[in-house]
Amino acid sequence: MSWAAHDLEPYAIQKHTKLKLAFVPLLIGSYAPDMMTKWFVYGIHLGPWELKASNPAQFHRGWPGFGFTHSLIYGLAIALIFWKVFDSKLWAVSFLVGQAAHAITDTGDTVGTMLLFPWTYHFHFGAWAYAGQTGRATDAAAYFSGLGSMWDLLFVVYGLWSWRVLTSAYFDNFIYRADAFWPWLNRWVPRAALIVLYRAAFFYGTSRWIAWTIWAHVIHHYPYDLSWGGPHWVHAAHP
Amino acid sequence: MRLRLSFDRPSRRDLVVFGGYCVASAIYIAIGVSVFDFLLSFWVAAAYLLVAAWLIPTLARRVG
Repeated sequence: MSWAAHDLEPYAIQKHTKLKLAFVPLLIGSYAPDMMTKWFVYGIHLGPWELKASNPAQFHRGWPGFGFTHSLIYGLAIALIFWKVFDSKLWAVSFLVGQAAHAITDTGDTVGTMLLFPWTYHFHFGAWAYAGQTGRATDAAAYFSGLGSMWDLLFVVYGLWSWRVLTSAYFDNFIYRADAFWPWLNRWVPRAALIVLYRAAFFYGTSRWIAWTIWAHVIHHYPYDLSWGGPHWVHAAHP
Repeated sequence: MRLRLSFDRPSRRDLVVFGGYCVASAIYIAIGVSVFDFLLSFWVAAAYLLVAAWLIPTLARRVG
């Protein structure tokens, strides 16, 4: 799984794609595959009860399980709802692209994703360890010690290099104009606050990348292991 | 064909805005490193950023 890439990729996609895209559904698409599942992967406490998947990797990425949320057909199904029910082809295409980016990015870890569900084969490059089953803290430490964090860093650096996508001029000329959502929201929220909201995912991805890195390597001294499939000090799940 | 990387130079005003976000980010990171849960939600980050990068500067301009 990826931690910050899903926050950062929409900015790069929005800038480079030849399609007309709306940023909000692109970002929702990028978050969508994990929206319903992450809490159950790590588990939560409700009073005396702990709700947690007995096999987090299977639940998150597999079948039976919710692995279909990381498939292209899931993106297509939700996109069809945007198109046919809410009558917005722009939101449909944008969601589809964002969701596909998430599903493809997560093929980078050792579990991978069932991209072509209902075919249940897990496409995976195995570049970094999937450690969701170890709990949130160990998973974070492992992710920010392996190649996954370098993948995230690529998008942090690329975003800063392409800093114009974060400017108010870019927001006015491309983001605001592309999608009626922004003028609608502008009826209640001032433009300056809209720009802040537009930048929020980049801020979140970049800031927490730095924070998790400090947490893992300065405070807790987890060792870096940038070898393929690492870090090997954690037990990596496989399909 | 040669690939050439070019970098747009930001203006002084762009750098001031960027500096403001860097300060907001440094505070967010400091809180997040000490309170683990603060880093877990996009909505917390968005609310924090609205306060730090919009509400406080807007109020400061009105008072000043």
